Amino acid sequence: MNTCSKCGNQQIIIQKKHSGQNLCQECFIESINEKVLKDTRKYKLLEKGDKVLMALSGGKDSVVALHILNSLREKNIIDIVAVTIDEGIKGYREEGIEIAKANTRTLGIKHRVVSFKEYFGRTLDEMRGQDDTRQDDTRQDDTRRQGDTEPRHACTYCGVFRRWILNRVAQEEGATKIATGHNLDDETQSILMNYLEGNINNLIRIGPKSESRDERFTVKIKPLREIPEKEIGLYAIAADLNVHLAGCPYAGESFRREIGEFIKELSRDHPTIMYSTLRGFDKIKPILKKELTPKGNTGECRRCGEPSAGELCKACSFLEGWE
Amino acid sequence: MQVKVIFGEENLTEDVPEDYTIKELLKKLEIPSETVVVKKNEAIVIEEELIQEGDTLEIIKVIFGG
Ligand SMILES: [Zn+2]
Ligand SMILES: [Zn+2]
Repeated sequence: MNTCSKCGNQQIIIQKKHSGQNLCQECFIESINEKVLKDTRKYKLLEKGDKVLMALSGGKDSVVALHILNSLREKNIIDIVAVTIDEGIKGYREEGIEIAKANTRTLGIKHRVVSFKEYFGRTLDEMRGQDDTRQDDTRQDDTRRQGDTEPRHACTYCGVFRRWILNRVAQEEGATKIATGHNLDDETQSILMNYLEGNINNLIRIGPKSESRDERFTVKIKPLREIPEKEIGLYAIAADLNVHLAGCPYAGESFRREIGEFIKELSRDHPTIMYSTLRGFDKIKPILKKELTPKGNTGECRRCGEPSAGELCKACSFLEGWE
Repeated sequence: MQVKVIFGEENLTEDVPEDYTIKELLKKLEIPSETVVVKKNEAIVIEEELIQEGDTLEIIKVIFGG
């Protein structure tokens, strides 16, 4: 008979294969809360007095992160303002926005909904319509390889424009940190994906907390970085949170998804593989960063004024390309 | 024996043998167990949980990929 390793309750909801620990509903919720707050201290993600901009999609990850960080807000350690980005994905985003609103209303947290349309004049759906297969030389990084003439994935635009909006809204709100719901699966995928693509510039930026030398970029934190996605899903159900359970219609196009499936497949027989990938990476990262961080000062994008290595930031180079 | 299965919008009645586990049921329904949380009679259960006659099983997809 399996009983809770902490309290002896006979109704367990999880058996952690890597640690042999069994947990009941209450002890599981408690253990996740503790782990997230412990990591927050360990990696110094937050300081007393921080104003945190929570990137709240309404999905399980960001809703769980919001609820756990809210415990720090209730103790007056931090302040939180939530933002939901409406990329303009018809038939998908609407429900997430409503769920994000409901969560912030329940917790009494200030919430803004901002859209690609209002900041960039077009929705993600429209951006994809404008895409073409021509080569361009506006990208300063190495995400586009020679001879690669495929149109960019929606995820590429989405990532670039979402980062831009988050940074802008953080400035508008006077936020000192931007928190996202990235989980262990996301992080492991990013490590493997960037390594396999040879995208070292992006690889060395992966971590619990962004370390930009440029003060104009608000520091980003990932409080759920060491929690497996499955456990976040279980937490959302166990704590009876209102979450948007749906998949983005564009996710199927991405290389990230292939990598994600590959890692999940491996995890079935090797339940610690994501933890070890993360641990190993975190160990070599300081060395990689020291050796490989691009030199040179960050200037300003001539179009939007955001910090940028080139004349135009990535968001603006896409936008100019469409004009 | 018969059990009720709720999966998303679907409401099914499944015939399963005695001593059948959640894990076996998911396999039969071709649902990857690492993407779902299962409730038996409204309480969350682990994959190894045995199913009994008349149980209601709610399968909640929590991982969508991407
Ligand atoms: Zn317990
Ligand atoms: Zn710009």
